[in-house]
Amino acid sequence: MSTALGDLVVIDLSTEFFGGVAAALLADFGARVIRVENTGVPAPIKNRDGMRPQEVIDAHAELAHRNKQSIALDLETDEGLSVLKQLIARSDVLMTDLPFAEQDAKGLDYESLCGLRADIIVARGSGFGPNGPDRDLPAIDELAASRVGLMSTLGEPGQPPVYSGTGQMHTAVMLAFGALMALVHRAKSGEGQVVDTSLFAGNMYSASLDLQAYLAVRADRILEPVSRLDMGNPMSGPSYPCSDGRWVTLAMPDTDRWWPIFSEVMGLDIDDPRFDTHEKRCGDNRLEMMQLLDELFVKQPGSHWEKEFAEKKMSADLIETYDYPAHCDQARVNRYVLDLDHPSHGEFQSLGFPIMMSDNPARLRSMAPCRGQHTEEVLEDFLGLDADQRNRS
Amino acid sequence: MSKALEGLRVLDCTVWFQGPVSSQYLADFGAEVIHIERPVTGDPARGVRSIKALEIGDWNQYFLVINRNKKSLAIDLRSEEGQQLFYKLVAQADVFLWNQGMDNLVKWNLSYEKLSAVNPRIIHVTNTGHGQKGTLEKPSFDINVQALTGIMTRQGEPGQPPIYLGMGSGDAYGGIMSAFGILMALYQREKTGRGQAVDASLYGAQLFMGAPTLQPYLASGKDFYAKQISRSEAPNPLWNRYKTQDKWMYLCQTNTDDGFSALCDALGAGSIAADSRFADAAARESNNTELIAALDAHFADKRAEAWCDALANAGIPASPIETFKELAADPQAWENDYFLKTWCSETDEEVEIRGLPVTLSKTPGSVETLGPELGQDTEIVLMEMLGMEWEEIEALKAREVIP
Repeated sequence: MSTALGDLVVIDLSTEFFGGVAAALLADFGARVIRVENTGVPAPIKNRDGMRPQEVIDAHAELAHRNKQSIALDLETDEGLSVLKQLIARSDVLMTDLPFAEQDAKGLDYESLCGLRADIIVARGSGFGPNGPDRDLPAIDELAASRVGLMSTLGEPGQPPVYSGTGQMHTAVMLAFGALMALVHRAKSGEGQVVDTSLFAGNMYSASLDLQAYLAVRADRILEPVSRLDMGNPMSGPSYPCSDGRWVTLAMPDTDRWWPIFSEVMGLDIDDPRFDTHEKRCGDNRLEMMQLLDELFVKQPGSHWEKEFAEKKMSADLIETYDYPAHCDQARVNRYVLDLDHPSHGEFQSLGFPIMMSDNPARLRSMAPCRGQHTEEVLEDFLGLDADQRNRS
Repeated sequence: MSKALEGLRVLDCTVWFQGPVSSQYLADFGAEVIHIERPVTGDPARGVRSIKALEIGDWNQYFLVINRNKKSLAIDLRSEEGQQLFYKLVAQADVFLWNQGMDNLVKWNLSYEKLSAVNPRIIHVTNTGHGQKGTLEKPSFDINVQALTGIMTRQGEPGQPPIYLGMGSGDAYGGIMSAFGILMALYQREKTGRGQAVDASLYGAQLFMGAPTLQPYLASGKDFYAKQISRSEAPNPLWNRYKTQDKWMYLCQTNTDDGFSALCDALGAGSIAADSRFADAAARESNNTELIAALDAHFADKRAEAWCDALANAGIPASPIETFKELAADPQAWENDYFLKTWCSETDEEVEIRGLPVTLSKTPGSVETLGPELGQDTEIVLMEMLGMEWEEIEALKAREVIP
């Protein structure tokens, strides 16, 4: 079966997780992605935040670098840079998250790159975007997330700000999307260009609704965490604990539609004068209703509510842990989660492919390569260098 | 200036957030996006009136921002005549985008089989809740799906309630994922001339969004990645959130001896540097709670800005943890077009909106208009695209195919 991006060649000059994932998304759908690893500087420190202790399988690398080839070059030497530039001259896209200053110092600025290949597309993922006073701050997701304001709104009042790490995942897809948009334009016009996105942008878009509301309304309530028992709608948004420590959440914004079923499930009188209209439920009596629901949900275990929700086809859920997708058939048949066999470490699970294409599905062709695993192959097959030339680089 | 997606025509039959965000990305870069809405009621997002129990004010920023740069065409897709009219539009379109459920898709004769028979070049895109395959039947608002992924129970301090990552957080991610899928199918169509079916589900996107912690959980099965980890037990105390005299800050320093020593110098924390419990990387990791407590006490003495300045001078990454208020005034956001100002005709004034998170140097995106009024382009689209005469349009109105 053919792939969607089968004729595309991408040079992946990234060191951050999001940059790797952006290029991997193209590789998953068939692009030939050559990951260039710089041996002239110390390898990037893995697990710098300490949050992935003692992993047998480098899980992030297995997601961010699958389906790629790896070539090791000393980019601190002219010879290494020269090989990189030969690679770029034969490629469609250079994708990079290196600092702008380093790109310039290595002759990888757009003008110089155009000299190598006039219609090159340069897809740059930075920390804070190409303009502005902070363009040169490092591309660290935590820094970008801190600046965006969403962290300060999550959780209960008085708790530490919450870092989820999801902003960088937005950035990764935005970078891949931007590169493809430039390719679509190039197909029509013949011209390449520079694509930019940043961790800052990705985090801003992951905060989209609250952030946009703040821009429009400027209310302090949007800046701060709101207690789960102070939500706008007792039947949409809050979480309630069950007797076994598990939690449920409700998503029934149209409370008029759901009230007859919901009141029955909760053992409430449908005509309870405190809650018999949407206006009362979401207005004057919303706090009282949330307190009451809090007392009712905790009387039963999560499994009880899960069964009730399912039987009555309610828009309400037991809140799961990662154990759920790990054992979920739905995630498997749609290939969101894959069961794999690692050549050195045996069976393991990995995230799969978030997009289904009927004619050109994503495929796992290879696991993440070792550093420099394909150096010889790329130099010989892709650049056509003979043994003597290869040895010199 | 030319636009990257000029000439691309998208029939956007989506509601609420994920689908409209997906086509917003395309519209920002020049695609002609026609938001197809149900007559009279329209996209239910038009009815949003509050957020966080606050009135949204005199313009509906929820709907108007994600539907910017689009046209609106009202058509009753439930009627056979509406479907026949819609097929004529499909014949001249590149992308069909849908997020109103697979059952309605089939019931209203809009399946890939039906539409590709009308136009084999059509790229038929669904944003399902949980994927096109499988038997799972569950509601699929953003929070329903987020609850399934497990990411909510991973956030916050131990014992705290699960945390939803913000209104539309998963929908926004599903939206960009869908836009990416559309472009891949478009890129492929350039080679083959054939369209295909694409699905970017909310569940698939949200699982991928959880990758930073879900991927290591899947690979290792270790509970550590699935549960709440207290900041007072962070394995690397130098990469952590700290409360200063005023606000919180994020410190991002690797746990090396040089890194620790540079940090203590910058903070003037000589006694922490000299403490034998923190003598090397392994000691700092195993005595992490003690080191975090020591740093907590130290950081409480000064304001975040003072600490971050001192750290910046030493080349150590750190940032105050801000609120939307500081962001709204942040030149970094404005100078990169991540925020834009545009005219709002509902209030007759300039408003501030989320801008362009992806920028292209030669074919930049732009915001020309905020979201359209319901059905405002119905007649003009039918005349220009389908060459209809006014009498035919009147006849469609009389039969309530269009309003």
